[in-house]
Amino acid sequence: MTEGRAFGIAAGLHLLLLLVLSVGLAGRMAPDPDPDVTPIEFVEISDLATVTTPRKPSMEAAPQEPEPPSASEDMPVAPPAPDMQPPPAPAKAAPDVAAQDAIAEAVAAAPPRSQPPSKAKPAVTAGQNAALVDKSKPKAATKPREADDFARTIEAAIPKQAKLSAIQAATLEQAIRVQIAPCWNPPIGGADVAEMTAVLRIRLNRDGTVAAPPEFVSQTGATAGNQAYARAFVETARRAVLRCAPLQLPADLYSYWREFELNFDPRLMT
Amino acid sequence: MIRTLVALFLALFAAQLRPAPGWAQLRIDITSGTQAAMPVAIPAFSTGAAVQTPAGNTAELGRQVADIISNNLSGTGLFKPLPAAAFAAPTVAQLNAPPFGSYRTAAAQALVTGFVTANPDGTLTIGCTLYDVFSEEKLAAQGFTVTPAGWRRAAHKCSDIVYSRLTGESGYFDSRIVYVAESGPRTKRVKRLAVMDQDGANHRFLTSGASLVLMPRFSPVNETLSYMSFQNDRPRVWIYNMSTGQQQPVGDFESMSFAGRFSPDGRTLVFSVTRAGNSDIYAYDVASRATRRLTSGNSIDTSPSFSPDGRRIVFESDRGGTQQLYVMNADGSGAQRISFGDGRAGSPVWSPRGDLIAFTRIQGGKFRIAVIRPDGSGERLLTDSWQDESPSWAPNGRVILFSRSEQSGRSSLRSIDLTGRNDRRIPTPLDASDPAWGPLL
Repeated sequence: MTEGRAFGIAAGLHLLLLLVLSVGLAGRMAPDPDPDVTPIEFVEISDLATVTTPRKPSMEAAPQEPEPPSASEDMPVAPPAPDMQPPPAPAKAAPDVAAQDAIAEAVAAAPPRSQPPSKAKPAVTAGQNAALVDKSKPKAATKPREADDFARTIEAAIPKQAKLSAIQAATLEQAIRVQIAPCWNPPIGGADVAEMTAVLRIRLNRDGTVAAPPEFVSQTGATAGNQAYARAFVETARRAVLRCAPLQLPADLYSYWREFELNFDPRLMT
Repeated sequence: MIRTLVALFLALFAAQLRPAPGWAQLRIDITSGTQAAMPVAIPAFSTGAAVQTPAGNTAELGRQVADIISNNLSGTGLFKPLPAAAFAAPTVAQLNAPPFGSYRTAAAQALVTGFVTANPDGTLTIGCTLYDVFSEEKLAAQGFTVTPAGWRRAAHKCSDIVYSRLTGESGYFDSRIVYVAESGPRTKRVKRLAVMDQDGANHRFLTSGASLVLMPRFSPVNETLSYMSFQNDRPRVWIYNMSTGQQQPVGDFESMSFAGRFSPDGRTLVFSVTRAGNSDIYAYDVASRATRRLTSGNSIDTSPSFSPDGRRIVFESDRGGTQQLYVMNADGSGAQRISFGDGRAGSPVWSPRGDLIAFTRIQGGKFRIAVIRPDGSGERLLTDSWQDESPSWAPNGRVILFSRSEQSGRSSLRSIDLTGRNDRRIPTPLDASDPAWGPLL
């Protein structure tokens, strides 16, 4: 009996070691299971002129109004700065992201986006908060300006170097949600929409621009029969992020929003 | 014992492998969004050199193809084509390397470009490409070689590619609608069968109007229609072959037969036969011409419609006292009522997608289009007008076509998205009723 138990424990521990090693390796080695790159058959059109210059994949944040793209594309994610920046730092080109190509240089040379005023704002009231929550409803077709103010008030309200409390995390989440939701146009008429969700990993630069293409993490509700719909669903989520960037978020908390996940779930819309 | 221990260890340690809460990444649920139409740029299709063809100049065709695609996409309510005039027609070289920046500046999220060329053999090649303006990815590309007379179909096929790639649902633009065209005073109404493309183009009449015709329905597999005609004062269901013009009556019943509808494989036609105030549902084998009775009893059973797998039939019946919807097996067994609540329910049609049944909800003096799940749950009203009836699904099960009558006596065809949005009129030259959407061509 005791031998059996000892053997059991030993076997368990060995298996565990194996599991830890394999999970750790898998975490590093697994490629992105990105449904977006599922090859689809293109019928090549012979009459077309051939491409003269190969195009670079680029994922810059798309401006909602005419302005130069301010993303630094295909750049490595900058390591989080050890020190918090003083609020309210205008989020211009991220200092820790080096210009690596002509586009980035052009972007750096471009005039900075209009950015926060220098005056301090009064603390947000409950009423203002409620107004912000309302803005997240589908009616808000354009990016709510309040998100900017909102972000700054969070900065003001949160003590430096503090660990993100549950309330602060919820507030930061709301600041992100309020900016992403108006840009998300999910295909809600699909037959399988009720079960469909998608999780993307977002990596942002300090200035709120996307540092890397939104990365597919997982999806629910996808079946063998609805692959085209599942793919289109993920693309609407990805488009939402690219459309809404750059996000206006408190620079102080950059380490918390440098990388995060968005779970796109249209259940309240169906 | 050992197995239990191992499982326990695995469970315990798997839980610990997750990141500690202090390091947990923010994960934010986005549970709402917008339902704004997606802005799409559709500049005129390019042509290498403008060539005269029987369908017109290729440069002009390039503009018209873009117009058709624009009209199709805009009609879905899901897309907002930007004014084509805002963009210069791309050069042929730009078809593979579009200036994405300028499309982003114009707030376009997707770009549809393409070309029209005349081939030496007299055919046309129309190609189209869909790009995501943000990711700059080419999402889909396809070319079609068509006769000059068929150029509109190439534009519809291109629309289908764009629609299906962006929504993940199959398209429905390369399809036709059959309906009853109505003219003349109310007391002496002339009713003729008419068929047209789903966008109203290529309209033509199929019958002369000498006899009253009702309830035309497409066969899902070929150029065949069923309809009800009062020809020779004997109202019954007929089958009409559009390519040959040949017509034949269905079965040989003394009394009236009506409400014919094909099975998904096109081999069976179900319909109702009336005898002494009672009507029952019959199945007709198109090949052998044999008929089989599916329902019996003293009630009025009518408007049968197959599920897309052909195994079940939804129909209306007053067996419970009022007109309601029932679902039975295709052999007539196991009928179950699925509609309840206030008012009556009639003219059910099973969605080609299978998930919903569209029907007419009659309540408070109004006829409204509604949908319900086949198990009777999730009933939703889609329209609110005086008299909306005769629903029919688009081939992709996303859009419902129906007829709307006004108190003035006018009637027209309309379509609505199954989300209840985008109620729009389908243009017809005369008054129109009783529409049926055909399969993809």
